[in-house]
Amino acid sequence: MNRKLLGLVPFLIFIFLCVFLYQGLFGNPRELQTGRLGHTMPEFSLPDLMDSDKIWTADSLKGEVYLMNVWGTWCPTCIAELGYLTELRERGVKIIGLYYEQAYDPDFGDQFDINALRQDVNNMLSRAGNPYQFNILDLERTLALDLGVSGAPETFLVDKQGKILLHHTGDINERVWRTKFAAIYQELTQ
Amino acid sequence: MVPEIGYFALVLAMALSLLLCIFPLWGAYTGNLRLMKAAPSLAVGQCILVVFSFLVLIYITLMDDFTVEYVAHHSSSTLPWYYKITSTWGGHEGAILLWLVMQSMWTMLVAVMSKSLPWVLRARVLGVLGFLGVGFMLYTLWMSSPFERLLPYFPVEGRDLNPLLQDPGMIIHPPLLYMGYVGLSVSFSFAIAALLTGKLDNTWAKWSRPWTMAAWGFLTLGITIGSWWAYSELGWGGWWFWDPVENASLMPWLVATALLHSLAVTEKRGVFKSWTVLLAITAFSLCLLGTFIVRSGIIVSVHAFATDPDRGLYILSFLAVVVGGSLALYAMRVAQVYSEGRYQFISREVALWINNIFLVVATLIVLLGTLLPMIHKELGLGSISIGVPFFNQMFAILIVPFAILLGLAPMLRWKQNKMPPLVKKWAVLIAVSLVLTATWLYSSYEVVAPLTFVATALAVWISVATAADLFNKVTVHPSVAIGFKKLGLSYWAMVLGHVGIAFVIASVTLTSAYSVERSVSMKPGETAKLNEYEYRFDGVKEIRGPNYGGHAGVVTVFKNGNKVVELYAEKRRYDIGMQFMTEAAIDDGFFRDLYLALGEPLSAGAWSLRIYHKPYVRWMWLGGLLISFAGFIVLADKRYRSRVKKSSQVEA
Repeated sequence: MNRKLLGLVPFLIFIFLCVFLYQGLFGNPRELQTGRLGHTMPEFSLPDLMDSDKIWTADSLKGEVYLMNVWGTWCPTCIAELGYLTELRERGVKIIGLYYEQAYDPDFGDQFDINALRQDVNNMLSRAGNPYQFNILDLERTLALDLGVSGAPETFLVDKQGKILLHHTGDINERVWRTKFAAIYQELTQ
Repeated sequence: MVPEIGYFALVLAMALSLLLCIFPLWGAYTGNLRLMKAAPSLAVGQCILVVFSFLVLIYITLMDDFTVEYVAHHSSSTLPWYYKITSTWGGHEGAILLWLVMQSMWTMLVAVMSKSLPWVLRARVLGVLGFLGVGFMLYTLWMSSPFERLLPYFPVEGRDLNPLLQDPGMIIHPPLLYMGYVGLSVSFSFAIAALLTGKLDNTWAKWSRPWTMAAWGFLTLGITIGSWWAYSELGWGGWWFWDPVENASLMPWLVATALLHSLAVTEKRGVFKSWTVLLAITAFSLCLLGTFIVRSGIIVSVHAFATDPDRGLYILSFLAVVVGGSLALYAMRVAQVYSEGRYQFISREVALWINNIFLVVATLIVLLGTLLPMIHKELGLGSISIGVPFFNQMFAILIVPFAILLGLAPMLRWKQNKMPPLVKKWAVLIAVSLVLTATWLYSSYEVVAPLTFVATALAVWISVATAADLFNKVTVHPSVAIGFKKLGLSYWAMVLGHVGIAFVIASVTLTSAYSVERSVSMKPGETAKLNEYEYRFDGVKEIRGPNYGGHAGVVTVFKNGNKVVELYAEKRRYDIGMQFMTEAAIDDGFFRDLYLALGEPLSAGAWSLRIYHKPYVRWMWLGGLLISFAGFIVLADKRYRSRVKKSSQVEA
């Protein structure tokens, strides 16, 4: 009897898997990637992570081709991609960080210690490489919401007019860069 | 007219497949020998028709028939002829047709070479293969025919083959990989036939083993060449990326490796039977799952092919029928399977059992890493991304006990061993390995990280233990010559396979630890230094290929003032798609690769260049070749043919 039940286990696991594969088939994994494609950068007005007096807006970013990289020190994959992003910066790619704080929730009366965060970010960037021209602090996650960000890391390629041409979920590495970004980036900058 | 002939040949082939599925299975069920005997000729006829259909596709591609949608989308008139042929499997529809070619060839080979099998088993194996053939042919004819026309409006020029695929590696990589994938369907059919027949004895394992070996050899070769292609063509200096599509080929490989070892135990000792059958079913199921992942668009990958939910639904349904059906059959029959062999804890059986556990755990890690992001999302938990670090960490943990065991196991005997003499021998071998590793690493490098040392020591340990075992086996005989003669090809396969693994481990470790790279911007005449090599940039010259133009950065490499090599790192712009491609320049060597990629033009004649120094990177593919070779030489083993004959025709 026991042996019979044990023999059924592979079958049951497979059925379980099939349900997800079926759902996944119609779940459209690409929809999150196309959310804001072709649209312009949404309006925003957010402070610089390191200097709260400095305010960045959609207009202030116009005029240059740049990558907007959504990241946080809490996200292991983001840390893993810092090295390669730094390399990209050395090759002349302009990268702007959108700092995505996960822990802070004002509705629960969370206290937010900006200095601790800055310290944390500085440590991380000096250890793993600093690819960023500057970081925008999106504490309420409004810009991230407008951009359709669902996690981190995610990266947007934005042209001189502020139009979003690419939205990549997951880390950026040499291969993703070569196969997904390089050609478009080259065309934009030439 | 010609494309329609190709399509029609496929329709006929499908009719034969249908008969190949029905006749022998029905015949075996009712005991009708005439029906069973129809199987081999049906298999041969089906193969001829499918191959003919594929030749038609090659012909219309070579003729630049752009009225055919597939040709218009994947080829162009300026494409060199050999890449035109490559383009026939460069896209989804053609790749599936190639799959069919392989499938029907394996089926024909089984039909022709299984004459010594009892008819009932032979008929069932071929019937199951026929069923798989029907599934894939129906799919081809119904939703992915490469012969669809673009009439009346067709382009005068094709869209060209994706430049990424215009590489020698790409000519051989997919066929080899498919040979492996599809070859595992033979092991699968043997397992199903054995379950249907209800006779899961070690003869079944003996018949199935050489086929599994061959399929596994092809799979290994395919993966190896795929990795080499990624390294030489993608221009990022890496060789493996844990991309879902790569994972799709790794999972069946891991399970097939477990299957090989488990089959050996079942054949020699009559134990692990139900487990071996489950592995055979799983290995091929993972091939189908991989196909589903790659072809359905369910997972976002840098090189997923066709993303069509209808096709995905078909493959999923097929998957459900084939895998669900076989697992249900397995559940029904497994209770009747008993192992008669007995063994103790310190024995080769247990060592191989633990090996199987490791390989299956490794497979589960890859499966989870590949599917978890999707499952997570479907459960409404939001998006997560599982990246390279996850896989690297998990595999780094797994490889340590696995490699230790890999060195130990060949020295163990079946049934039981006495511990004390073994422990003494192992202690000596471990000491030797540590000394060798230390000598090797500290003579070459100033800094050796603890993890690098451990991983390298594992590779050395495998080689030392394998060599010691070989030495022991040869010297127990009166003379070394006799000793060598007594070793079977299976033993040599094991030696090659294990040494191959040692090469791969050493390569992955050392190239990860000691690769260095520099991004530089150089004007003509300027030099840059990396390790003991000096790179002089001699400027950029225009290049012109059959279907691309671009620049080649000319770099002369010096070592101690002597010229080593002149490298041309190309940046191509393909005419039709206007895509940029980096064609890295590589000076390969046994101990190191010099790898150079041309970056963007900067101001005043300067260019950005990326220089990599990659030690021991070539050992990875050398290891892969050794491992796949291990799969092939077993086929030459006389043991299989002669023994099979003795037990022939018992049941007919």
